[in-house]
Amino acid sequence: MLNGIFRKIIGKGDDSSKDVAKKRLKFALVYDRLDVSDDVLENLQRDIVEVISRYFEIDKDGLSLDIRDSGDLSALVLNTPILSKRRDTS
Amino acid sequence: MKGKIIVITSGKGGVGKTTATASIGSALALEGNRVLLVDMDIGLRNLDVVMGLENRIVFNIVDIVKGKCKIGQAAIKDRRIDNLFLVPASQSDNKDAITPEEMIRLCEELREEFDFILMDCPAGIEQGFENAVVAADEAVVICAPEVSSIRDADRIIGILFSKSITPKLVVNRIVPEMVERGDMLSHEDVVDVLSIDLIGLVEMDDQVVVSTNMGTPTVLQKNSKAGDAFRRIAMRLNGNEDLPIVVPQVPNRFWKKLGLKIGLGK
Ligand SMILES: Nc1ncnc2c1ncn2[C@@H]1O[C@H](COP(=O)(O)OP(=O)(O)O)[C@@H](O)[C@H]1O
Ligand SMILES: [Mg+2]
Repeated sequence: MLNGIFRKIIGKGDDSSKDVAKKRLKFALVYDRLDVSDDVLENLQRDIVEVISRYFEIDKDGLSLDIRDSGDLSALVLNTPILSKRRDTS
Repeated sequence: MKGKIIVITSGKGGVGKTTATASIGSALALEGNRVLLVDMDIGLRNLDVVMGLENRIVFNIVDIVKGKCKIGQAAIKDRRIDNLFLVPASQSDNKDAITPEEMIRLCEELREEFDFILMDCPAGIEQGFENAVVAADEAVVICAPEVSSIRDADRIIGILFSKSITPKLVVNRIVPEMVERGDMLSHEDVVDVLSIDLIGLVEMDDQVVVSTNMGTPTVLQKNSKAGDAFRRIAMRLNGNEDLPIVVPQVPNRFWKKLGLKIGLGK
């Protein structure tokens, strides 16, 4: 107990191996819990591309769909180069 | 009166399912319940040796299901604890020797004869696991405070929820010194990650190995911290839900040192 408190006071709390373990776990479990097959991810990507394409002209080959760990949260991150805005949507 | 079927599971092997089944079952019987332990680890049976009943096996679970014998012929009666019985797994069959339908039918019968039926699950999520959970009313997930065990537990918990079972969590093999150093996930961490209700905390205890050597359930052992913890888990399963959960502590160093100085202790 004292050890733990001491570690927190001197600010080493984040270095302990169990903190590393917990972070890694939380991240790994996001993927596991999603339990999405490659098929589902592909379909999702196709649908997203379809929607975005209504508004922007995008580089479909440069598109990536990822799950990222940003601190305490995990985020679904979509990255796509936009080539231009579609004229008919203004 | 209908008995309750509780499956003891974990996903990963070697985290303490069989130990927990033997200990919790023994404790439930000591409290006066009629208890049946069922080894569902077909092909890799172990509950019989942990219980010290391996010399008395005549029939097994597959024999019952296939109609080769009656439940009463296969169930070995424990001679140390009243109202405690074991149905061993078959050692020569495959995990798919039994179908889920056969399991459901068997469990209906078992419910009529026992207060508690504890199913010791095999590792994995295949047919053997399916059979063990198919008729379960409740589930206890055993998890060690360690990355791979927690990850597998999470998978198992997801599957149990999808079968409308809300599992309870036991964190086993806790080493308080390591938790204090920050080198082992605390039970709070484990609960935080898995987000299910806790039903007990069991520490790493040499007495478990001694018990297994002797074939004596830990709950019959004096001075076994793991045995005490399993006994409290049994009380919670037996309706004493508000019994406080004891967190394993680092032994008091001062007294330990003093004990060593004056020649006491190990
Ligand atoms: N709390 C504990 N303290 C010390 N050893 C333990 C504890 N729980 C389990 N063990 C040991 O760990 C090993 C695996 O346990 P077991 O119950 O066979 O796991 P499983 O059935 O999940 O494969 C055994 O050798 C057992 O004695
Ligand atoms: Mg086992």
